[in-house]
Amino acid sequence: MKPFTKVMVLLWFALAVPAFAQQIIVGVSWANFQEERWKIDERAIREQLGRMGATYISADAQSSSEKQLNDIDALIARGAKALIILAWDKDAILPAIDKAKAAGIPVVAYDRLIENNYAYYITFDNVEVGRMQAREVFKVRPKGNYAFILGANTDPNADFLHKGQLEVLDAAIKRGDIKVVGKQYTEGWKPEVAQRNMEQILTANGNKVDAVVASNDGTAGGVVAALAAVGLAGKVPVSGQDGDQAALNRVARGLQTVSVWKDARELGRRAAEAAVLMARGTPMDKLPGRTIFADGPNKVRMNALLLKPIPITRENLDVVLRAGWITKQALCQGVSGTNAPAACR
Amino acid sequence: MPWMCWVWALLGIWLGQWALAQATPIFAEETQSSGLQSRFEGDYVVGGGLAAFDCNGDGLPELVLAGGAQRAKLYLNQSPVGGPLRFREERGGVELEGVMGAYPLDIDSDGLPDLALLRDGEDVLLRGLGNCRFENANRRWGFQGGNTWTTAFSATWEQGQTWPTLATGAYVKRNTTFPWGTCRGNALYRPAPGGKGFAAPWPLEPSYCALSMLFSDWNRSGTPALRVSNDREYYQGKGQEQLWQLTPGQPPRLYTEAEGWKRLQIWGMGIASYDLTGSGYPVYYLTSMGDNKLQMLESPERPSYIDIAFRRNATAHRPYTGGDVHMSTAWHAQFEDVNNDSLIDLFVSKGNVGFMREAAARDPNNLMLGRPDGTFVEVGDKAGVASFLRGRGAQVVDLNADGLLDIVVVNRLDRAQVWRNLGGASGQPLGNWLQVRLRQPGPNPDAVGAWLEVELPGRVLRRELTVGGGHLSGGLGFVHFGLGPAERVRLRVRWPDGEQEGWLEAPSNRFVVLARGQGLLGYTPGRSY
Repeated sequence: MKPFTKVMVLLWFALAVPAFAQQIIVGVSWANFQEERWKIDERAIREQLGRMGATYISADAQSSSEKQLNDIDALIARGAKALIILAWDKDAILPAIDKAKAAGIPVVAYDRLIENNYAYYITFDNVEVGRMQAREVFKVRPKGNYAFILGANTDPNADFLHKGQLEVLDAAIKRGDIKVVGKQYTEGWKPEVAQRNMEQILTANGNKVDAVVASNDGTAGGVVAALAAVGLAGKVPVSGQDGDQAALNRVARGLQTVSVWKDARELGRRAAEAAVLMARGTPMDKLPGRTIFADGPNKVRMNALLLKPIPITRENLDVVLRAGWITKQALCQGVSGTNAPAACR
Repeated sequence: MPWMCWVWALLGIWLGQWALAQATPIFAEETQSSGLQSRFEGDYVVGGGLAAFDCNGDGLPELVLAGGAQRAKLYLNQSPVGGPLRFREERGGVELEGVMGAYPLDIDSDGLPDLALLRDGEDVLLRGLGNCRFENANRRWGFQGGNTWTTAFSATWEQGQTWPTLATGAYVKRNTTFPWGTCRGNALYRPAPGGKGFAAPWPLEPSYCALSMLFSDWNRSGTPALRVSNDREYYQGKGQEQLWQLTPGQPPRLYTEAEGWKRLQIWGMGIASYDLTGSGYPVYYLTSMGDNKLQMLESPERPSYIDIAFRRNATAHRPYTGGDVHMSTAWHAQFEDVNNDSLIDLFVSKGNVGFMREAAARDPNNLMLGRPDGTFVEVGDKAGVASFLRGRGAQVVDLNADGLLDIVVVNRLDRAQVWRNLGGASGQPLGNWLQVRLRQPGPNPDAVGAWLEVELPGRVLRRELTVGGGHLSGGLGFVHFGLGPAERVRLRVRWPDGEQEGWLEAPSNRFVVLARGQGLLGYTPGRSY
């Protein structure tokens, strides 16, 4: 090679390599992308990556942990410099994290915990969700007989939620203002199981239940059905979470007190941001909003971003409307004129 | 580039061969016309099996179907050979409630098939009296049937024993609102000291909510071990899949991770086995929710398995038709050759547990055809067996003695279904076949534990005769081999005691009885043997 050519080649590398380095490819491994809700997350991730000059590639594991392992290999082979992984199976995914680590590719554990401290865990703060549920119910009914309809006992989130609920209510329980008259886990978070459990709690207490802290909107639906059967729907405050369409409609109709809403767009934005920053070399403990999460089944200390959800009550229903999360028609269906919340007028 | 043309030409030939090898069999559902009317009812999220076996000596398998909260039913098989399926219900002594599944086997070695009924409550061993009559033999055989919700079964004859060893698997405690962590005890029933009847059960602890068990000689040592597939929903992270070593005269012991066993946690519901790789060792298909597993032995020195389901396109993790995007729930699995092309196929029954939202509500059964490269291709919808009912136990078995395997599936909260295999799309025959029944004098007349080999040009089909596995469903009788174009094949058996017989010439498209010491005897269904 002639010296001049050599210089040119070196110059080309010197100029081109940093330019290429800017072109960060972020690989997103979805657990089951055909489930409707992930489309919202994807749009937010794509938009944020675009804003930061990064490229989006993705794969859909279609509910298969075997396929997901294969997908992640393929994303790495396609040049991903950071991975965002929504794990289908939190245990089966672990070999993929080891591979990413060996290749020096940062990993965001998206929404579902992957208990390996190489991953940066981004989710909503479930303990805070529990606190918000209890706070809103407590505002309405600071004294009386409380029932807790918990989530599935096989789901660690059920316990995080309950932890937050108790943090808020513990003092009132100790004072004797609140009497816990029933507490039931809900197999598979099923509304029909929640309804049966609520019926049993009502029967056992001669219908003297003043407030129900239900852990999500599905179980809240079961609870409201059980309350309606004894004429208590709308009289007893009930909590929930997820911003389900039916639940937000119940909030508008006054049958449910709160649905704690997690804005998937926020989750997507922040995951994309963290992935790009890490790919550019930002250490995890310097990422914006970073905290420590160590409440997983194996108590692994994880760098994490725990986002704050929003409690949706009849006072701020406009938030979900403005976000395009629900149509006014779906939100306000069956809402009567005089008692309608502001968002439905 | 000319070489590209060659590549395409070769690829074309190769694909052509594939197409030839993968003729899709056409199944016609004959539930209504066959007269089969049985439902698996009640609050039983698991269970719902059947037994397929000939109890009146005419060569056609009868069916005993579990009914859950309803009584079990016996159906006599009155199908004309090669004709439409016909069943007639007849009371034979199996009509108990709380039956979860049934496995046929000849416990007392009298040549008349007996039946193990697994129940919510006391398990019952029925002694076959001939002509499809049965009587409860628990007392006669000293069988303490327990009082658990029994959801798994397998049997073997241990070396030197004249009486079988049985294993039963238990599910959760019933009648509790909080079943998590309440897995009840599995049990091992070995022969009583006198060699007749059963000793008191040995607790197979720890127990992790077994939904399938299979005695199988995983390393060809001559001593089968007990594989147990467990439901992780209820063992709260503490359990895993299990393999019990059963050395004659010794208490059972679990293979450990130090010995090479790899921890695997699945929603285990059914086990199928076959020597798919031609290595001489069985691979095991384990059904679950989401991914199903295909476990291949790494080395016969260690009970160490790797998963090859993804590589072989056999994960069957979610519906392939019907539009439901949630994960599948798989139950009974069975390796058989449904298109007689000599490549092993796989049937898997599917269905939601009940009303579980995370899993597919419309969950079609799978029929996966084996391909020459060892992978599978799904044809359940094309073949006509993609039922969306809540499938549970099943049997893939020739019900009308035409050499084509038919399919029966028990459905939860719905009617059991039966499909007749009509052969190729335009009625053309699919391939040749051979059906073999083993007989040996003395104990274990059906030679459970034997290995049957069929030699094809360049390849040997090899299968182990077992009692157990699947989802609470079993068969006893003729063993089916698809032969492809082969007109004559060679056949040999390794008897359960280890004696290896020499090769025997067998014609195709026949039923034959291989009687120990007497060679091959022709058999025509419709007559007794």
